Amino acid sequence: MNNNVIYKIIGILCVVLLAASCKHHEEEYHSITDKIEAESKDYHGISISSEEHLEGLTMIEVTENGITFRIPKRKGEIKSYACTECHNKPLDQMQSKDLKKAHWNIKLNHADENTMNCITCHDGNDMDHLKSLTLKTIDFDRSYQVCSQCHTRQFTDWTGGAHGKRIESWAPPRASMTCVNCHDPHKPHFESKWPERYNTQKVEERK
Amino acid sequence: MSDNKKKWFSLDLGNKRKETTACGCGNAEGTCNSKQNTFGEERHKDGFDQVFDVQMGRRTAFKKLTAGLMIGAGAISTSCSLVAGDETKEKAQIDWEEQFKGNYKLMTDDEKKATIDRLTRSYQLRTGKTINMSAKNAEENVLFGYAFNISKCQGYMDCVNACVEENNQDRKSQMQYIRIHEMKDGKGFNFNEADDNYYHEVPAEGHFYMGTQCFHCDNPPCVEVCPVEATWREDDGLVVIDYDWCVGCRYCMAACPYDGRRFNWSKPEVPENEVNKNQHYLGNRLRKKGVMEKCTFCVQRSRAGKNPACVEACPTGARIFGNLLDPNSTIRWVLENKKVFRLKEDLGTEPKFWYFMD
Repeated sequence: MNNNVIYKIIGILCVVLLAASCKHHEEEYHSITDKIEAESKDYHGISISSEEHLEGLTMIEVTENGITFRIPKRKGEIKSYACTECHNKPLDQMQSKDLKKAHWNIKLNHADENTMNCITCHDGNDMDHLKSLTLKTIDFDRSYQVCSQCHTRQFTDWTGGAHGKRIESWAPPRASMTCVNCHDPHKPHFESKWPERYNTQKVEERK
Repeated sequence: MSDNKKKWFSLDLGNKRKETTACGCGNAEGTCNSKQNTFGEERHKDGFDQVFDVQMGRRTAFKKLTAGLMIGAGAISTSCSLVAGDETKEKAQIDWEEQFKGNYKLMTDDEKKATIDRLTRSYQLRTGKTINMSAKNAEENVLFGYAFNISKCQGYMDCVNACVEENNQDRKSQMQYIRIHEMKDGKGFNFNEADDNYYHEVPAEGHFYMGTQCFHCDNPPCVEVCPVEATWREDDGLVVIDYDWCVGCRYCMAACPYDGRRFNWSKPEVPENEVNKNQHYLGNRLRKKGVMEKCTFCVQRSRAGKNPACVEACPTGARIFGNLLDPNSTIRWVLENKKVFRLKEDLGTEPKFWYFMD
């Protein structure tokens, strides 16, 4: 009988001690994830804003997958926009030998010929806009909608912020680069190159 | 800052017997003050004993007193002299106040302001150039975190270049906070076989790249071991160093499991025209010989709302930075939606630097 009571007391003591020893101080957390979760519960925004760093950039606001952010405008950056300034008649009439050649420097290196050619993205009847696979019109400023038709995984990551880059600032409101700010749509892969730096001192030290 | 100045006064008086042996601390100059006049006593004294419990003859006492007075008079004469120029006086005044300022961690905002003003003025007096130094405190509701996409990094090292330039790192010893490791596919994170100083066209066939730097641990072992509390974790999670409080013992360097800390073996050299003049007391202000330094997530940029220089420079978007406490931030999206992991998680250091793959 007495033994039982002692065992019970020891048991309770153990539980209390274990519970108490896990946290060193009241403010400490088991892990950084606990800390983030607990401290972000009463998050009411911060006084730092990205606005001052984004001054002078022309952007549009987009909402994709329920996330709203800004991307740079594209049309102003395309050298010869609007396209219809030259493309004032149907394409087959412009391909005659009398006219000067244009876009000679563009060589499509994006998927293979079975999958893509110029008119997969460009609309021969409406050169000022892009088009989707189902022939819906897409604005040049929202060219990511063309890319996202095939690159769905990258698109999801991009909307969340895991693919691509933030512009200038980590603070809200969020501004992110759009696909064509890093990838040339006609040749979207990254070239191999030499590293920007070689540490000769490190070589000396490790001899 | 003023490099030829000793951090502390070492009163080397009564030096009848010139000691030839090097001091116990390893410093040949006797700057550590561990050798006091013990008058032949073999017993080792420390603390107050060394200062007060000393048998002293009348002659020595007078000598010390006179020397003490002369040092004081010297300092006063520099600052009050009619012969010395105003600038010299001001310099002496600044050096004096800098010498005896407290630990930055314990300073009030006014004291912080005073010390950055002194440092800015001191730089102006020495070089004639004006720097912009900030002492901006941690923002409330901010905890900085970082994510690194291993599948995206191509090993271009643009980040390293940007970091060196932004943070005024020593060009002579080619100090770099960031290391990019070239690892063989299929071998996992094998740092023994990794190469962090490659020079060939990248990305190399059959290799992947991952970067390391200071991970700004939430439970930082480097902070634990610092004997003078010259390094600490700020409220926004940045682990920072007061370069003027650091004694250069390098305990923190030994304690860091990630090789995140760097030591200035010589006086850091940055060409005047390459000095980044946008500085923070805890960040990229110019360092001196014999102190530790490391990545601060570019405190001078991040506290102003900008991305760190490495994030900005990365051409592949492998680096993601943001506020962990903001549920709508991109870094939070990465942590919640990608399969993330950290380096040596089992150590319990809680680094705020996550790796992930596409």
